[in-house]
Amino acid sequence: MSASNGKPWIELDGVDLARGGRPVLRGVSATLSGRAIGLVGANGAGKSTLIGALLGVLRAQRGRIRVMGLELPQHALEVRTRAGVMAEQAGIFPGGSGVDAVAYAGQLNGLPRREALRRAHRALDALGVGEERYRATDGYSTGMRQRCKLAMSLCHDPEVLILDEPTVGLDPAGRIQLLTLIRGLAEEGRRILLSTHVLHDAEFLCDEMLLLESGTVAYAGPVATLVDPGAGSMIAEGEGLDLAVVESLLAAGLDARLEEARTRTGSVTATRLRFLSHGDTDLTRFWAVVARHGAEVRRLRRDSVSLEDAVLTVMDGARERSRGGRS
Amino acid sequence: MSELAMHPVPGARQVVAAITRRELVLASKRKLVRLLFLFSTLPPILLTIILLVRNLAEQATGAHLPWDPLLQFLQFQSLPVGLLVLGIGTPLVARDRAEDVLFLYATRPVLPWYYALGRMLAVALPAGGLLLAPGVLIAILRVGITADLGVGEALELIGKLTVVSVLTAWGLAGVSVGASAGTRRARWAMLLALLCFAVPDLIAKSISHRDPWPLGPGSAVSEMIASAFSRGDHGLIAAVVLLAYGCAGFWIITMRVRGEMTP
Repeated sequence: MSASNGKPWIELDGVDLARGGRPVLRGVSATLSGRAIGLVGANGAGKSTLIGALLGVLRAQRGRIRVMGLELPQHALEVRTRAGVMAEQAGIFPGGSGVDAVAYAGQLNGLPRREALRRAHRALDALGVGEERYRATDGYSTGMRQRCKLAMSLCHDPEVLILDEPTVGLDPAGRIQLLTLIRGLAEEGRRILLSTHVLHDAEFLCDEMLLLESGTVAYAGPVATLVDPGAGSMIAEGEGLDLAVVESLLAAGLDARLEEARTRTGSVTATRLRFLSHGDTDLTRFWAVVARHGAEVRRLRRDSVSLEDAVLTVMDGARERSRGGRS
Repeated sequence: MSELAMHPVPGARQVVAAITRRELVLASKRKLVRLLFLFSTLPPILLTIILLVRNLAEQATGAHLPWDPLLQFLQFQSLPVGLLVLGIGTPLVARDRAEDVLFLYATRPVLPWYYALGRMLAVALPAGGLLLAPGVLIAILRVGITADLGVGEALELIGKLTVVSVLTAWGLAGVSVGASAGTRRARWAMLLALLCFAVPDLIAKSISHRDPWPLGPGSAVSEMIASAFSRGDHGLIAAVVLLAYGCAGFWIITMRVRGEMTP
């Protein structure tokens, strides 16, 4: 699996792509190496177009695209052979049963007929599709259709999975079930690109994010950095967290300071201590200092924001920059 | 699932064969296609019976009966084959367009022309087979049982039948599958294909009443069969017309699919 080991598997460098004369992607640059990458953006932000470009179906007018180290569009067929795609708008190959459709997908990816059928059964088994696989796909429920589509993308055992809104139309239980299955696939070593509107899905699965806003990159990088703008900043609240503790923490090599926690109206409610922690060693040192001073920590938390808030903030910023750039 | 190693990019032949095979299997499950297939096996059975009866009559009476029904057979056989081609071909691309699955092909190592050729062959192979196989069987029968044909003549007959079958199958497949690429509904595709059969001949007749060129696919097939047995005047034109229909159909499908193989 050449796409693993933390090497970048999606590399975009100044990609411009117009469709029907309208620019859709504008100067998109990003280098992504995450196990599961969330591709997030509003409708019309360019997510589907980017997926098309990553498969070599759509050609960029300018810039450079590499997937799994393969240059596009020159190596489009190789990328498509090594990738499995679950497309939102496209259904299941019509006219036959579920297992027929999955086996056919495998054959199109170069598997011999019998091998494709064997792997189709195995993929459907793994996704929990029972006897329904022998029924005509016309009568499938949304959940069954999504599973069948996922099996179609998995049949040839791809290194990379590109999933476009895989949980659309599913009930909460079905959504969690499918996401858990996908997370299992990522844990097996596959790289996943998840295009979604649902940030909870991205939060559940992804360790990196590519946020698109009107065809430009609003953010590309780890989810942890997105939700933790303080980069390791910790906040402790409790009794006895005073200047003496701060001085001891500074002496122990930890960047620490006191600050006031305020309500929305601005009145001070408590004093809290903020310090930077880059791992367990820093936390151990913090607890040692606290114990030495006899302070009592009631609450210790990372100074992070929810993914939803972080994404909205980043998107708003990108929108403002875009407006500023245009004016 | 990780036992699976990377596999190489599949070749055009492998992908085209997969597309053709699937469509043939799906078509064989349709009642209309089964009925048309049965219908198209009637003429060769009838011809075999006629030839055997003629042979018995010649043996019983000692008289030579010169009537050779092979030309009539082939011309009659082209009718059920034409219907079969319309039955199999007209839903093919229209259905994929209606169900938005063309992008599914684009996400796999399938080029637009692989798709077009796979679809055309799914129609052309049974059509060609139904024209060629009975003719070959009859040639063998006439050499081996009725003995009214020499081996050389039989080989010549098979050669002619092969050319006729290939061109007919390619041309008719171009008309039916090409029409299918023009719309998202199989019924409209059928209507479009029927117009392709009728309109060119009407134009040809309006240009020349006495000796119209075989511009429609139906008249081209008929003319080519007649020419193969030295009974037609425009055999070459008919062959070119059928080749052109096949190539035009292939081109239309490829262009249409290329435009829609995008997210």
